[in-house]
Amino acid sequence: MFSRRELLLAVFALAGLAAALAWALGRGTLPPADFTFANGTEVKSLDPALVTGQPEGQFIYAMFEGLVRWHPETLEPLPSGAERWEISDDAVTYTFFLRPEARWSDGTPVTAADYAYSLRRFLDPRTAAEYGFLAWTLKNGRRYSGGGSAVRPGDTVEVELNLPTDAINTLRGEIERGTLVALLDNDGKELSAEQLEELAAAEDADPTAWTFVVEIDGQRQSYRYADDDAAATDAPPEGVAWCRQVLLDFREVGVKVVDQHTLQLTLENPTSYMLTLLGFYPLFPMQQACVEKYGSPQWTYVENVVCNGPFVPQFRRFRDRTRLVRSDTYWDRENVALETVDVLAIEKVNTGLNLFLTGDVDWIREAPAQAMRVMLNEDPPRDDINPAPMLNTYYYLLNVERPPLDDVRVRRALALALDRDELCGRILPSGEQPAYSLVPPGLQGYDPPTFVPADMTGADQLDARLQEARRLLAEAGYPEGRGFPRLEIMYNTHEGHQLIAEVIRKQWERNLGIVIKTRNEEWGSYLTSQRQSRFDICRKGWIGDYADPNTFLDMFVTGGEQNNTNWGRSRYDQLIRDAAAETDPTARLAMFHEAEEQLMEELPIIPIYFYVSKNLLKPHVRGFYNNIQDYHPLWSISIDREGATPNDFLKGRP
Amino acid sequence: MIAFCVRRLLWMIGTLWVVFTVSFFLIRSVPGGPFDGERELPKEVERAIRAKYHLDDPLPVQYWDQLTSMATGDLGYSLKKDIAISKIVAEGFPVSAALGLLALTFAMVLGLTTGVISALFRGTAGDVALRLAATIGIALPNFVIAGVAIILFVFWLPLLPAAGWGSPRQIILPAFCLGAPYAAYVARISRTSMLDVLSQDHIRTAKAKGVGPMRVALVHALRGAMLPVVSFLGPAVAGILTGSLVVEQLFAVPGMGAHFVNAALERDHTLSMGVVMLYTTLLYTMNFLVDMSYAVLDPRVKLE
Repeated sequence: MFSRRELLLAVFALAGLAAALAWALGRGTLPPADFTFANGTEVKSLDPALVTGQPEGQFIYAMFEGLVRWHPETLEPLPSGAERWEISDDAVTYTFFLRPEARWSDGTPVTAADYAYSLRRFLDPRTAAEYGFLAWTLKNGRRYSGGGSAVRPGDTVEVELNLPTDAINTLRGEIERGTLVALLDNDGKELSAEQLEELAAAEDADPTAWTFVVEIDGQRQSYRYADDDAAATDAPPEGVAWCRQVLLDFREVGVKVVDQHTLQLTLENPTSYMLTLLGFYPLFPMQQACVEKYGSPQWTYVENVVCNGPFVPQFRRFRDRTRLVRSDTYWDRENVALETVDVLAIEKVNTGLNLFLTGDVDWIREAPAQAMRVMLNEDPPRDDINPAPMLNTYYYLLNVERPPLDDVRVRRALALALDRDELCGRILPSGEQPAYSLVPPGLQGYDPPTFVPADMTGADQLDARLQEARRLLAEAGYPEGRGFPRLEIMYNTHEGHQLIAEVIRKQWERNLGIVIKTRNEEWGSYLTSQRQSRFDICRKGWIGDYADPNTFLDMFVTGGEQNNTNWGRSRYDQLIRDAAAETDPTARLAMFHEAEEQLMEELPIIPIYFYVSKNLLKPHVRGFYNNIQDYHPLWSISIDREGATPNDFLKGRP
Repeated sequence: MIAFCVRRLLWMIGTLWVVFTVSFFLIRSVPGGPFDGERELPKEVERAIRAKYHLDDPLPVQYWDQLTSMATGDLGYSLKKDIAISKIVAEGFPVSAALGLLALTFAMVLGLTTGVISALFRGTAGDVALRLAATIGIALPNFVIAGVAIILFVFWLPLLPAAGWGSPRQIILPAFCLGAPYAAYVARISRTSMLDVLSQDHIRTAKAKGVGPMRVALVHALRGAMLPVVSFLGPAVAGILTGSLVVEQLFAVPGMGAHFVNAALERDHTLSMGVVMLYTTLLYTMNFLVDMSYAVLDPRVKLE
């Protein structure tokens, strides 16, 4: 019936199918871990210095440990890598006494040199750490990060020489130390101090085109930048040597190894949140030997990585799961309850929810909005859900250079005419809170000023607010919205943002009689438009990096990277600067208060709502607490299926 | 035959080069870059990052660098994940391919059977019902099929796991959802072409010679009716083997499909390029195999 050739083809096809199936199933199933959770999208990297996201943070907190760690509930910095510390009276010098029993996962002790190495690497411009600015709190940290464009004649500098092109990419070239004598531009002309400042102010400095004249041991030597490829093939110009980069001498930076177990950090300014910051994962240490043996990113691969945290990775399947096991060398391993943890990379929140509901995972960070609403309204109340306030604000940026938004009365009218209670009650599913300030409530000692008097923020005061809004709009020349130009709300393409923008558009139309358009842009173009201030009104959300008003308020200094509103006030800038230098915590918070008052007075932004966390957690999980940073370290988590309910997570539930 | 293969290979290299060039410039012409985020980076940091990934090189230099490294088979590192693109492909492609093969087998078996039955019993209630099912299968996007399947087989009848990858039970639902639209297409195509072939002279001759109806349908007619199905299969195989964003995301399958969309959205230039080139190669190879198989299936076709 069939020819031999056809039969052969059929046999091949069947064999191929069988092989594919055998392969697909050959991975087999694993015994379940003690604790399994959905961690959002696959992580970008496991290099503490290079990552920025929440899923990455979850891994770093499990695998690495910093000088301090945060209390899982109160977020208070607790001794961990450092056993204790001393802070000088002027609050700029911190001396950390490291825990002598702390070990890397290869058994070697964690030393002050490891911390110094990691901080230097973090600040090195060649590392290109996105969170690098956090270490600018260290003395001269910012200048070190600035590389060649931040050094000035007279500075002591370090010149990093080139390495062969096949060198491991994390190795540093040989370092020459000396004093910078002069900087020459591309034509060999000396750059004056004024020129350098001008270039720096315009962010236009290009050190790769300069010649650095450095005096080393009394000898003058000129250097020019070249990457390792060019240095290997091209001869440098007469009398010049190639180098990778010129940096401020790291010995000028406030990081000092006193002895094997003592590390001294000197800060640029007394920074009251420094201890908290040191518990934030980007500042965690890594082992120099490991990083330099394998290079980046290979050193973070499961088979190579050496870490000092409570867990070590056992295997990682890209975009599937990573298994963590308790580290045998961790100093506090007796108090780590979980032996194995599976971290699932789940891109879709719906999928995460399905896995949670079928009992395959114990914790998901987020459920879809509609599901949140349904689950929160269940009766009797569910024992696995408890949204809690977070250090996140959702707000709109106003471009104050575009009329009529240059008129503060218009901005205020827009801010007043929003019915945030309608938005939070009917549109947002999880009990998000109306925002009348930029800084969310809940920071110790800081009561954020609102842009309307506190007694006017209630849901029942809507009419009073609307009246005021209409009055202001009329005063600005647009009675009942007549003649008001058509403004546009820009947001990135996302169902949630669209819904909010539509509701706000309708509210403004209804309450002020003005016509508003909405425009969505895909993520990349949205960011570009935002950066270039090509918008009237633009949505934005901000997650506080650390529990301090500064993480919100320093965004709006004149020309700040996150301040795309074109708004800037010298008084505001001054307050933020002064607060950075202030040692008295009360006076410092008062400065922030005054700064935020000014921000709320002039309203280059419209605060809309404060986020809440949307965790779903199985009732048998203990040691998991709600907190404003949504920080849930694995070392505090344990499983108890018999214990009393409710668990720690449900604490404070209404 | 050999000349045919060599010619096609040369064409393939040319095609790959054109696709590379067009993609390279298209990718870079859209606004936004791989390192843009909600947080705008300080200038020092941004400059350092751009230098690290050679994004500050002039475009022609970047083009040449990437073209030469790609020509030597080095796809480079993803800009958004700390992992080599060859590793992403090595981990993801077999998963997508295994899932795809299963889905395809399912699609072929179901599609061909219903298509042939439909054609043989043309105009009956059964034919109408099968055609209706096929139309629905084509019209319904697979996230709807997946949603319904999850509600039915995960929550109402807790037979199958909701998501994940590794055990046989975890493959059933995604393979079904991935294969369903293809099954519907195959059913429609095979029905039409079967009807077409059944009305031809050689079928009448076969019947006149006294060949049984089963043998006429399965041997004499089906072989000719397979040609349009095979033409459809070429591109379909390339598509199905490289995975599907929707099905992979919904069932948390660690395949390749998601990269096609995510890499573009995240401006991961190197990964975008890697998956585009992979897909081009695969598509080209599949079409080549289809052309080859014509010679096997249809004695009238000669490769030249």
